Amino acid sequence: MDFIVAGFIKAIELLISGDYSTWTAVLATLKVSTISMLLSVGAGLPCGFLIGYFDFKGKKHLRTILDTLLALPTVFIGLAVYAFISRQGPLGELGLLFTLTGIAIGQTILAFPIVTAITASIVENIDQDLKLTLVSLGAGKRNIIATCLWEVRYGILTAAVTAYGRVLTEVGISMMVGGNIKYHTRTITTAIALETNKGMFADGIALGVVLITIAFIVNLSLSFLRKQ
Amino acid sequence: MTKKDLIYYLKEIRHFYGDTKVLEIDDLKIEKGSITGLIGPNGSGKTTLLRVLAFAEKPKFGQIFYKGRPEFPFSSTIRSKVTLLTQKPYLLKRTVFENISYGLKIRKDTDKLEKRVIEALNNVGLDFKDFALRKWHELSGGEAQRVAMAARLILKPEVLLLDEPTASVDTESAKLIRKASLKARDVWGTTLVIASHDLQWLYSISDKQFSLFKGNIFATGIENIISGPFENLDDKVVKKLDDGQIITLDVTQKKECIAVIIRKKNITIELFESTDKIFHNQLSGHIVSMLLEEKRGDIMVTVFVHDLTFVLRVTPDQISNLDLYPGKKVVLKFSSSDVEWIK
Repeated sequence: MDFIVAGFIKAIELLISGDYSTWTAVLATLKVSTISMLLSVGAGLPCGFLIGYFDFKGKKHLRTILDTLLALPTVFIGLAVYAFISRQGPLGELGLLFTLTGIAIGQTILAFPIVTAITASIVENIDQDLKLTLVSLGAGKRNIIATCLWEVRYGILTAAVTAYGRVLTEVGISMMVGGNIKYHTRTITTAIALETNKGMFADGIALGVVLITIAFIVNLSLSFLRKQ
Repeated sequence: MTKKDLIYYLKEIRHFYGDTKVLEIDDLKIEKGSITGLIGPNGSGKTTLLRVLAFAEKPKFGQIFYKGRPEFPFSSTIRSKVTLLTQKPYLLKRTVFENISYGLKIRKDTDKLEKRVIEALNNVGLDFKDFALRKWHELSGGEAQRVAMAARLILKPEVLLLDEPTASVDTESAKLIRKASLKARDVWGTTLVIASHDLQWLYSISDKQFSLFKGNIFATGIENIISGPFENLDDKVVKKLDDGQIITLDVTQKKECIAVIIRKKNITIELFESTDKIFHNQLSGHIVSMLLEEKRGDIMVTVFVHDLTFVLRVTPDQISNLDLYPGKKVVLKFSSSDVEWIK
């Protein structure tokens, strides 16, 4: 039990003292997760809306594929991205392997189906009376789409936060594509994995506390936005 | 009635949900500036008709003429002129002020917005200071209904369609909705079509009533519709009631019909049975309600005959002569040939 208590104490020490290796891992995590979230929300939101709002041939099959992608293992995404951006891969010349950009690409692939599937479900469940109300108030098609999106804004925020949680806590992609290079591509989760392997539980717990704190701040912000 | 006086003309409308026919209207005319009441049981087609009139739903067959011109859903000319208040009004997840001003904002008509919102709220008996900044979830059912009504009234629409506007509100709110509806008609010349189960309220506001049954419309207002099962007996069909009474009906038009209409004008009310052979049917029942038709000066009497409800129109003199009152036992008489079968 002592090492767990020691871990919490060390976590506070590392953060207050501004330990360079801890803070570079925190910054790397924030950087890649923010980029991947912006990309996945930017692409997943309109895709999810189109799938949820309109009826078209093959919609059911598309939803099945999308739901399957929700369970995509991070090591598989890591492997696929690795294969594409490694030197022998089709995108090898871009030099993305063992970079934060490479990790962000992998995490975007991870988050995209989550944002898309949740947005599609939320839009599908929009109250039919809403559309009728908007039509009866004189809204055109553009107004209807914009207002419908605004009406489900909390649901979309939930989709984004769910995806953020998944991205923030994944290890497979960061480890395989990023390579866990100290001060460069080491993220909080890969650092925890490494410190635990080395038997440095205190350092691992310290980074874990930081990860939970970030998740807490994100959820607190969401709760604040809802109240607004 | 000239073409100029008409706001709606529905011609041979047929509408289906899947294979089920939900509207079958050969000819329906609604005058400008009138208040039309729609009566009918659940599933009779009232809401569907309102959605068709709101151009929110396109009937499978037939044409709708609006002010003499054929119109279609989402047409920009119609969108800004016809508005529908649904039975369970949806309020946007915003403040009352934003809900009421939404329609004007999308029309980019925001001149003196606050003043107009104050006026709209006043029209439905709500105070601007108390309600403008309230959020959608901070309203009671009746308040939400009145806010939704205000959101329509602020548009000063040519046509206001109301679906069960008093279904979930108290008497005071129902009065305020009635007052606001009449003001819309009297001040802006708005045409209103209102579906309601609240006959007392509907008859107090509407100039004309149509009744609906399985998508068919009857221009004579509420009528008596008796559904099967029926049994064949000699050259007639009969409907047996559980209390032993029998309704005898002529079969000449029956074929594949499912129900029969007995028009209220063909029913006579008396206190005792007679030996008069003209009336094949003499049914005992008791009066359950009496409703004053303000515009006609007549009284609509509802009589329970076992588990069937009959309505008929009587004059105040008849009421007085027969000493009719709710609870009184009466005999309804009608001929077996005065029936119309419907599919």
